[in-house]
Amino acid sequence: MRTGDSHFNVRTGDSHCNLCTGDSHFNVRTGDSHFNVRTGEPAARPYRYTRWQALPESPEFLVNFTGGFMAARPHKLINEPDDIVDEMLAGFCAAYKDIVRLQGDRLILRAQPKAAGKVGLVMGGGSGHEPAMLGWVGRGLLDVNIVGDIFSAPGPERILAGIRAADRGAGALLCVSHHEGDRLNAELALEFCELEGIDNVDMVILYDDISSAPKGREQERRGTAGLFFVWKMLGAFCEGDADLAAAKALAEKVRDSTRSLAMSLSSCASPVTGEIMFELAAGDMEIGMGLHGEVGRGRQEALPADATIDLMLPPILDDLPFRAGDEALVLLNNSGSLTLMELFILYRRVAFKLREAGIRVYKSWIGPYATTLETAGFALSLCRVDDQLKALWDAPANGAYMKQL
Amino acid sequence: MMTLESAQLAAMMGAIARRVESMRAHLNRLDAALGDGDHGTNVSAAFAAAREAIAALDQPSPSDLWLATAKAMMNRMGGASGALFGTLFFKGVAPLRGKDRLHKSDMEAALKAGLLGVKARGQAEVGDKTMVDALAPAVIAFESADDFGTGWSRAAAAARQGALSTEALIARQGRAKYLGERACGHIDPGATTIALIFEAIAEWWKETQ
Repeated sequence: MRTGDSHFNVRTGDSHCNLCTGDSHFNVRTGDSHFNVRTGEPAARPYRYTRWQALPESPEFLVNFTGGFMAARPHKLINEPDDIVDEMLAGFCAAYKDIVRLQGDRLILRAQPKAAGKVGLVMGGGSGHEPAMLGWVGRGLLDVNIVGDIFSAPGPERILAGIRAADRGAGALLCVSHHEGDRLNAELALEFCELEGIDNVDMVILYDDISSAPKGREQERRGTAGLFFVWKMLGAFCEGDADLAAAKALAEKVRDSTRSLAMSLSSCASPVTGEIMFELAAGDMEIGMGLHGEVGRGRQEALPADATIDLMLPPILDDLPFRAGDEALVLLNNSGSLTLMELFILYRRVAFKLREAGIRVYKSWIGPYATTLETAGFALSLCRVDDQLKALWDAPANGAYMKQL
Repeated sequence: MMTLESAQLAAMMGAIARRVESMRAHLNRLDAALGDGDHGTNVSAAFAAAREAIAALDQPSPSDLWLATAKAMMNRMGGASGALFGTLFFKGVAPLRGKDRLHKSDMEAALKAGLLGVKARGQAEVGDKTMVDALAPAVIAFESADDFGTGWSRAAAAARQGALSTEALIARQGRAKYLGERACGHIDPGATTIALIFEAIAEWWKETQ
């Protein structure tokens, strides 16, 4: 019997695992019985937890090691692994055909292109983060999203095709979420543009995750869920008469006003290979997890909701810094499989602590906007806003997963 | 054989494609420890695509072959490795342009331009636990020989040694850098692919002599 599923008692950690053979039992807190969840064969990588060493700059996150693993959701409702991305895009574009259409090699375009003479916004990126970025194509948002394989940036020729599709006569701005693959392919795409004589194009590197590099080295940080604020406000800005340079400056302004930090309670399994993406012991949490499960500041025993916020919010506030009297947008982004119940409990504490700090919440958003497959975790993002940004935030938007009247 | 023509270069690319295809599962396992676990799948798809693209070319020059291979890497491998393996061939296009027969010095120029391109784009040096750890010694070893045969076999040995040297390193570039010390004890899959490429070329060369 193949259920690809495992159940365990969340209090005792006792597990009844019925992967492919139906006869495997292990305790998720202590056990080392691990399988490739798709094939049922022994895992290529042993999921035996090795003692985690906190990064030197963050000794406060040294862990209480308990061993064992929190399971990623193993069985996926897919067909052939090679068809995942194309079948997802076909379904997405069929469902939202009034907003988006699919063109050529995995380009998601607005169903109705924006008026000629306005700057086009292009964004490439790996898939596995839905609804980012495809849900953000639409009026008042992005013009083109170039979709890559799972967690893998699209290549430069496809980015070039996206730039061409986005150019409405006023040039195109290539938005790059800062990860090595995205940056390298974007740089190559701009070289290709030069070879082809396309000169009205520029790129902006976007980042927000405070855990990936210390203050003072912001340009080394990764792009994560907080780019949410950039898409919305830059999208609204580029519905107006802005030129390419002004669009880039606005993107940088929003980026430089945004800070995020993520945490995670569990891993996710690659739907292509069936392998667990990273190791995290059951009962532990990782602070500063990247969008692809990259290691952050370190691990420690999982805490209750309020204590988790109390741990994560102060470094975010200190980094910008956000000060009493500031106004901020708040995003509580579901990384995949937390419940809304948990997110509302978490947000209650965020709102309380911000009020205590004298920071006014202008608007807040809670939900899955940039996910990491089925990861159980969340990202907390704040963006400081002034009158210009508030007006851009309130401007209309119509993407499949971002609507504003 | 003092020079290489397009037909031989196409056969050489075919040998590389067969070699990485046969090592796909091994490369996936190496990558699972440091990344997504799909490096072997992506590399073998990219070289298979390169072989198909080359077969579709009409009387290609060596630089056409290099460009077709570069595009296959960039478009089929994806991510950072697609950009870097693509750059390795893309930067070799200019030194090969206008040449129908490649002397060893032409191949040296193409490999060297590729190496410099990869180092610049990835901001990586030897010791950073990347493909550069295998590629840099391989290029130097190839240059140190007087003929193709000796050059390829020295390059293959140097690349293999370079790839093995990554086991003890902490990654300073690429996604594995976020793993910190957890990257130690694992061989870099990108460096291993470089070793497989040079080994495939060295073996192909011996068979054709």
